[in-house]
Amino acid sequence: MKQLSLFLCFKYFCRKKIVLLSIAAVALSCALLITVASLFTGFIEAIENSADDHLGDIVIGAPLGLKISKYDRLINDLEKNYLIEAATAVLSGQGLLHMGKGTGDVRAVRIWGIEAAGRAKATPFADLLVRQKNKNTPPTFAVEDSAEQLGGFVGIGVVAKPDDVTDEYDFEQVTASIGREVFLTTGTKELKRRTIKFTIADVVFSGVYEFDKDFIYLPIDELAEKLYPSQGKIADMIQIRLSRKVEPQAALPVVRGIWQNFADNELGWTNYAISLAKVSTSRQMQARLLAEYRKQMAMLMLIFGVVSAGVVLLIFCIFYLIVMTKQKDIAIVKSCGLSSGAVAVLFVVFGLIIGLIGSAFGVVMGYLFTKNVNYIEHLISVLFDLKLWKSSTYMFTRIPNQVNWESVLWVGLAAVLAAALGAVIPAIAAAGVRPVKILRYE
Amino acid sequence: MYKIILPTRYLLKRRVTYLAVAAVALCVFTVVVVMTVMNGLVGEFKGKNHDFVGDCIVGTDSLVGFAYYPDFLSKLREQDFVLAAAPVAKGFGLLTQPGTGQNIGVEIMGIEPASFCRATQFAQTLYYHKDNPGAAFTPTYDPALAGCVVGIDMVAGTRDSLGRYHHDPESPRIELMITCFPLTAKGALAKAGTDLVNTKTFHYSDDSHTGLVKVDSRMIYVPFDSAQKLFGMAGPNPRASAIHVKFAEGVPLKTGVEKIAKMWDSFVATHKNETYAYLLKNATVQTWLDYRRSSIAPMEKEQTMLILLFAMLGIITVFIIFVVFYMIISHKSKDIGILKSVGVSRGAVVQLFLTFAALVGIVGAGIGAAAGCAFLIKINDMEDWLFEHFGWQLWDRTVYAIGDIPNNIEPDVLAIIIASAILAALLGALLPTARAARQQPVEVLQVSQL
Repeated sequence: MKQLSLFLCFKYFCRKKIVLLSIAAVALSCALLITVASLFTGFIEAIENSADDHLGDIVIGAPLGLKISKYDRLINDLEKNYLIEAATAVLSGQGLLHMGKGTGDVRAVRIWGIEAAGRAKATPFADLLVRQKNKNTPPTFAVEDSAEQLGGFVGIGVVAKPDDVTDEYDFEQVTASIGREVFLTTGTKELKRRTIKFTIADVVFSGVYEFDKDFIYLPIDELAEKLYPSQGKIADMIQIRLSRKVEPQAALPVVRGIWQNFADNELGWTNYAISLAKVSTSRQMQARLLAEYRKQMAMLMLIFGVVSAGVVLLIFCIFYLIVMTKQKDIAIVKSCGLSSGAVAVLFVVFGLIIGLIGSAFGVVMGYLFTKNVNYIEHLISVLFDLKLWKSSTYMFTRIPNQVNWESVLWVGLAAVLAAALGAVIPAIAAAGVRPVKILRYE
Repeated sequence: MYKIILPTRYLLKRRVTYLAVAAVALCVFTVVVVMTVMNGLVGEFKGKNHDFVGDCIVGTDSLVGFAYYPDFLSKLREQDFVLAAAPVAKGFGLLTQPGTGQNIGVEIMGIEPASFCRATQFAQTLYYHKDNPGAAFTPTYDPALAGCVVGIDMVAGTRDSLGRYHHDPESPRIELMITCFPLTAKGALAKAGTDLVNTKTFHYSDDSHTGLVKVDSRMIYVPFDSAQKLFGMAGPNPRASAIHVKFAEGVPLKTGVEKIAKMWDSFVATHKNETYAYLLKNATVQTWLDYRRSSIAPMEKEQTMLILLFAMLGIITVFIIFVVFYMIISHKSKDIGILKSVGVSRGAVVQLFLTFAALVGIVGAGIGAAAGCAFLIKINDMEDWLFEHFGWQLWDRTVYAIGDIPNNIEPDVLAIIIASAILAALLGALLPTARAARQQPVEVLQVSQL
């Protein structure tokens, strides 16, 4: 009997084309929420990863106005610990770069003095170099065909500008800039200006606009000698890459201990000065900004959640319509022995099934859209001459397209529950149908 | 009469109609709130850009600048449609505060404060010299010193939780050293040897708060002639980077810019045989909107994307109304049969149900708009309360350069949203109404159907 009733009910319902509408509505809402959540979390993760790549997992920063001398010993101490894979020093500053004779091009730049080979061990720096990335040897500042000249690296945004329409760099122009002689002016604490002439030995293309637009890299020893003569090896930042599977938070106390020990024995700073040095994970350094992005994502999800609440209403209306127009069928099923409770359960289960099918379609649509978002964006730019995503606005050259499976799970679950919720009142109405009233002849 | 009575009865008596009204109201509420905030943000940002640039700009991106600007400036100032015109020299520099050892790469803007304040809203961005912008470069602590105005984010530290900056009653005494690469008219370095740069010391005289993050965080304003010297633009044929223009009241932007573009073309033609004529070719005449396009366009695109996403919400509302009307019409077939049997035409049935749909749309949109407006009026109070009790802000004002949440309801936007909601209601009711109009009394009123 039960099987017959179920069969009849499903037969009736499946013939209702309007049911497809509720499936489509669930699928669309689901796809929208999954896409928004994935793109936003992808963006946040990309920021975290770019900070890891650029700064390492943990950073030791000297207090303002102080420099870490004998940093090679500190790096040595750090690398002895099994938690740490590699560490590298940075001497940072800002300056003014003249792009060479006759160009009339001057720009403000951020300067990092680095050890190219050491940095390549601690970060994926070697993979970012346009000329040297495919070489098997560690990167160097050596200028091709001219060993005496001082070589330096520049961010790709320093030598080229992304195209207004395609947002892509002209790599011919970029490659042509390698070997060009440029002039850097920066200052020392004693207010002396130093102008450094160097040759562009390579171009750094990280895909993160913030790091590409105005960074230049010079050999740390040469930079230190120019700005702080006779002070030996000095740096203001030590970037640390942890061994695989080591959590930065877990390694932080160890790094602090090594730093404290080094500072006490080697630097001769006061305890207060040592306490001012910042030892933090690269993610902690981004924490405030990331918290704001997460808040914006939550607001957006809330707004689209409200939009999706319309879907619950839609399902309610559709189910109510089915109940109202199929009262006779429900009455027949009930007259065959199906209880009111069973009829109600049937409607709720049907709501769940619609939710399941809708969210399955939604997940597939959301997945396909997120994975292909760069192609879609490219297509829009080609068809409508409209560039939606620019690295200068949204930091990254490519739209992060990783599907966030956690969001997929809870959005899918919410969709199934919402569909079932929309079916509850119509289910109660269906349960209340009295065969004797509906099926009487008069 | 029935055309009014019946739709009103359906609206009041059929509970399922409330659902359609609720759907329309929810949709209108969401769109009114989000669009008002978004429009407010975009409008505010555009306004700040307009204030910063003036109405029109004649300029070049080249750091070399263009020559003969004094002649063109004089011509501009003679025009009735031009209220003010101000020359500007732009470039990059290295800023150092003695004692800190910190060097910061900055943008330098050389301006004549008096003329620049007439051409733009620069005076309103100052703190200590708001009432006397002509003396913007005169430090209050020592008028004899060369002053500079600094972008507020470079000096005033972080904003408080309400987005306010702290200022001492007296301007602080800060010495700032600025270094630039002077360039020749051909773009080469103007100085040779070991000292390739020009350096000059200025003293903080004021700060400028334009509300544009990229400007406030890295712009230093110095006297125009000092900037020319620093950039190598001074000399017998002085150069400037741009001329900012403000039009007289009532002059449409497009008309004004077209007139200046014509003047510029003729100016370039008359100077074509001059030594530095090639520099004039790099300069363009643009509206403030075109000049700041790269900053404004992303926000406008985001606004468009949001509108497209809300169109989806509209489609869901259309479907809800479709289903509700389908349900009502299925149940009211007897009413339709009786009406038709007493001579009511198909057109009148259509009119009846469309009036009903319009009523649903009007009531739903009215409720949604009223709720949206009420929410917007109180939105900042609510945010204050949330911050006071839970420490929650929609935007952390210490991170974002946003003041209050924009809640200025634009009547035209509101009218468009309400009209769209009514239209959506009519659209959703169209198919069920057509079905109602096609019903035959002989079919719906037969005994077996009753």
